Amino acid sequence: MKEQLLGVLEEIRPDLDWESEKQLIDGGVLDSFDIVSIVGALNDEFDIDIHVGNLVPENFNSIEGMMKLIEKLQQED
Amino acid sequence: MRLSVLERLERTAAQFRDKTAYSDAVTSITFGEIEEKAKRLGSALAERVSPGSPVAVMGKRGVLTPVMFLGAVYAGCYYIPLDASQPESRLRDILSVLKPAILVADADTISAAGKLGFEGEIALADELFAHEISQERLDEISGAACLDDPLYVIFTSGSTGRPKGVITSMLSLMNYIDAYIEVMGITEADVLGNQSPLDYIAAIRDIYIPLFTGASMFIIPKECFVMPSELFKALNEHKVTSVGWSVSVFTIVAKMGVFDEAKPQYLKKICFSGSVMPCSILRIWQENLPDAKFVNQYGPTECTASCTYYEVKGMVEDGDVLPIGVPYRNYRVFLLKEDNTPAEAGEMGEICVAGQSLALGYYNDPELTAKSFIQNPLNSSYRELIYKTGDYGVLLPDGNLGYKGRKDRQIKHLGHRVELSEIEAAALRLESVSEACSMYLKEKELIYLFYTGAATVKEAAVHLRGLLPGFMVPRKLIKLDEMPKLANGKINMQALKELMK
Repeated sequence: MKEQLLGVLEEIRPDLDWESEKQLIDGGVLDSFDIVSIVGALNDEFDIDIHVGNLVPENFNSIEGMMKLIEKLQQED
Repeated sequence: MRLSVLERLERTAAQFRDKTAYSDAVTSITFGEIEEKAKRLGSALAERVSPGSPVAVMGKRGVLTPVMFLGAVYAGCYYIPLDASQPESRLRDILSVLKPAILVADADTISAAGKLGFEGEIALADELFAHEISQERLDEISGAACLDDPLYVIFTSGSTGRPKGVITSMLSLMNYIDAYIEVMGITEADVLGNQSPLDYIAAIRDIYIPLFTGASMFIIPKECFVMPSELFKALNEHKVTSVGWSVSVFTIVAKMGVFDEAKPQYLKKICFSGSVMPCSILRIWQENLPDAKFVNQYGPTECTASCTYYEVKGMVEDGDVLPIGVPYRNYRVFLLKEDNTPAEAGEMGEICVAGQSLALGYYNDPELTAKSFIQNPLNSSYRELIYKTGDYGVLLPDGNLGYKGRKDRQIKHLGHRVELSEIEAAALRLESVSEACSMYLKEKELIYLFYTGAATVKEAAVHLRGLLPGFMVPRKLIKLDEMPKLANGKINMQALKELMK
């Protein structure tokens, strides 16, 4: 899943080193337009439905957080 | 007339000394503290630069940054707000146009300021705030100050790539803020929620309304706009009653379903500006906040932020187009046709603005200033400057102005006159299109439509066929994950041009 996720993210922000960033939200790395695109892309790619309640920094600060979120949402289905 | 920005601050501070004026995520400051700190910083600056000088101010997104601005005003100077998070090359460009003798930075920004190759003095705000107040010197400066002195210079992107510094006088600022307060009905009981970066034109409302009314202002942390579920929480925690935000924020909040989770309980007075508000988005806001007042605002930086306003009446429908309304008090707004004659009701003309709201010009650019601020062609009796906005408008039967798009976005396509903004408006009527920008590739005589949203290219094309004459339907539809944006939230047309190559 990690490779798949990185593929999605790198298309959106090719300028970032996604594996080493751990403060994507709290460090102000991503802006609101990034998040809108990421949420849309993850929903499509992983067939999940990210809800506004999932939009908290810990879910998006790092790829680990995003993977956890994706797994959680896939299990809920 | 004795009503400078500083006198208004002091009057408000006398009445509400211990009330919170500004707050941010970590701290807050009272009106009394603002007056004291600004006077200290002003006294320190007055020893370094003479009145009438530009002072560059680079502060973080926090309560002390506007106080640094006011300190420069106490020194009889005008300030230029700089955002440390802007690209270094842009900051260098601004400083090269401005050539200030001094740049005031805070502990968070001073290292960034040091990297700009700036040759003047870089002063640390904390040190200036520790300076004794020299009341005698401040009185001397304010005694000599005039209401039409420049207050600030705000840089906007120029079409040539070199940033343009729009100079605004204290009088213009006060005129606009007073008019806005009147339209929105802001009082000392209000709490404003600031979204705009502090160096951007839209922030002037959030900075000055408290000083003029005794209202409070909360600087919403940037993260709230990245994680919009945090946004309403912050608004409710700080009991925010009034916001003036860019349209893109309203769109993000509506599209991300933030209303499913929470509602901003205290929010009653809402103003939006910066681009055309899609009515499908406005409707979501109206349904969730049925008692709130919604105001559409229009105007360029050259006319002190905004020149017309329209208070939305009743619930909008998805296909509606909002008018831009009527001029603010003390603004002269009228429509001129290509031949410099006035447009009759129902006729399209370029939106022109005259009066006290006009900027003093572009900083260190007399040529561009002379080209942009011209004698009113309808007035041969005395000197009256106007600013031609480059936007088209039309006077609607109900007396409101309607917005008809950018002058430079009208194209001639296969013998037909085509307004690209009309194609965009048509695309936006499709609910599954969230943003749209139409461009023209003259070499190939091809109209492009770039859009974002769930709609497939086929759906969008079918939809447009149903609304537009055949020649206006773009033959090239490109669905984007994200619309490229400039720092101010507007669509980056230059980036779209690249995509057409």
